[in-house]
Amino acid sequence: MATELWDLGIAELGRRYRARELSPVDVAAAHLSRIESVDKRLSSYVTVTSDRAISDARAAEEALRRGEAGPLTGIPIAYKDLYATRGIRTTGGSALLAEWVPDRDSTCVSRLQRAGMVMLGKLTTHEFAFGIQFPGHRFPPARNPWNLDHIPGGSSSGSGAALAAGLTVGALGSDTGGSIRGPAAFCGIAGLKPTYGRVSRAGVLTLSWTLDHTGPMARTVEDCALMLQALAGHDPEDPASSREPVGDYTAGLGQGVRGLRVGVPREYFFSDVTPEVAGAFESAMATLRSLGAEVRDVAIPSIWSAPAFMVIMLSEAYAYHARHLRARQELYGEVLREKLLAGALLTADEYVQAQRLRARLREDVHRVLGEVDLLATPTAAVTAPPFAAVLDPDFPFARSNMAPFNMTGLPALALPCGFAPNGLPVSLQLAGRPFGEATVLRAGHAYEQATEWHRRRPQL
Amino acid sequence: MSTPPAELTLDEVRDRIRAARVEIPEARLALIHGLLRDALRPIRAFDTREALTLEPAPTFDAAAERDRHGH
Repeated sequence: MATELWDLGIAELGRRYRARELSPVDVAAAHLSRIESVDKRLSSYVTVTSDRAISDARAAEEALRRGEAGPLTGIPIAYKDLYATRGIRTTGGSALLAEWVPDRDSTCVSRLQRAGMVMLGKLTTHEFAFGIQFPGHRFPPARNPWNLDHIPGGSSSGSGAALAAGLTVGALGSDTGGSIRGPAAFCGIAGLKPTYGRVSRAGVLTLSWTLDHTGPMARTVEDCALMLQALAGHDPEDPASSREPVGDYTAGLGQGVRGLRVGVPREYFFSDVTPEVAGAFESAMATLRSLGAEVRDVAIPSIWSAPAFMVIMLSEAYAYHARHLRARQELYGEVLREKLLAGALLTADEYVQAQRLRARLREDVHRVLGEVDLLATPTAAVTAPPFAAVLDPDFPFARSNMAPFNMTGLPALALPCGFAPNGLPVSLQLAGRPFGEATVLRAGHAYEQATEWHRRRPQL
Repeated sequence: MSTPPAELTLDEVRDRIRAARVEIPEARLALIHGLLRDALRPIRAFDTREALTLEPAPTFDAAAERDRHGH
């Protein structure tokens, strides 16, 4: 399997392109062929841009021939269908936008295309990045390549599924409460939610603007780092975009974790964790210790306030959708419509208090990150649940281990750290200081180099 | 706080639905109730005097602005 073209990562493809061992056109064709044969079962793509892929790949081949290639030249990429793509339908997973063809690219798409990436298509998203598609929805839900009866996580569901199945090499996701890290966890791949303001959101459909983040997803941490390098940087079109200088995310990747202090916040993050997830997490901590990291427990006093995240998200999502919800409500999936309407039931004082709790949580986490370099938690408390459970309207929402890092805006990485007895992946979350992506990626890469989880592939 | 705060009840959800003039089918109330009850639990437990005020008003302290926005 390791020799299949669709199984190679960004770093390896780049090396082989530069050595003239592989052609971007052959690699693009191999991916298109695999999408054709496998995606009928996964529904990870909404739109496949075959002609565009071949044309991008030919341009990449020319760039390689001229010696003008960068690390992403000729690498296949697919975009969550929340990112505007010029001349290519962008649905947001919604019947409301089913035929929308933007006249410009989102900033992230523009930056990756400029870096020479090869666009394979647009990836399934939960409706407006929030509502999972119930049967009968305009767009079918993506399925988990490790077990088709299970969800791949969301809302970047297609991104996680396509990467795990070898239907793309890189993908973009968006993350308001874990929508990059959740699919990464459930599909056994890597996903990075960068610091709030590090990567532009211009041209990406909004869910909740004080919580929304954009970021890379790939099969390895190194590949996420390579994509982040091209994505990061100020964008005047995103009012939250930071002017903080962009670091070098790959130069220090190999430096290891010796001397790094890793804090494990036991309260909140472990209350709903299943034994198999807890076991995989503790093994991961043992691995980090064996690599020279100092791992110890830490306390975040106000972590109990993290569920107030939902007050902020529902209020902002309702504010964004209110007009269309009243005028075109038949174009919203019924479960999403009702979840969005829940935002209308919250009061102004509740939104304000949620933001105040958020400020206090941010201060507490900032204080803890003065004592340790990183925080480590299980990304998700459970493995991917089956569709049958999630489609039950009474399915309980699990406490999110990811949302606290949307509340605080800190960089957080999900990467595989094991498999449960049911064959589904388990994931480790590493979070760092503001703009500390290089440290987070370095620790994730060190762990990945010491383990084999990221090399496993689902049988399809 | 000395006494545990009251949790959001299903009847309160119904009251809020009427006040907001939105329509949510009775069959979905349990889902919405659960969503709001969990989200509001920390807010109902929050003693507003315990935290600093949060004022997203214009300020003219460049250093504070840099800190707030991370640039």
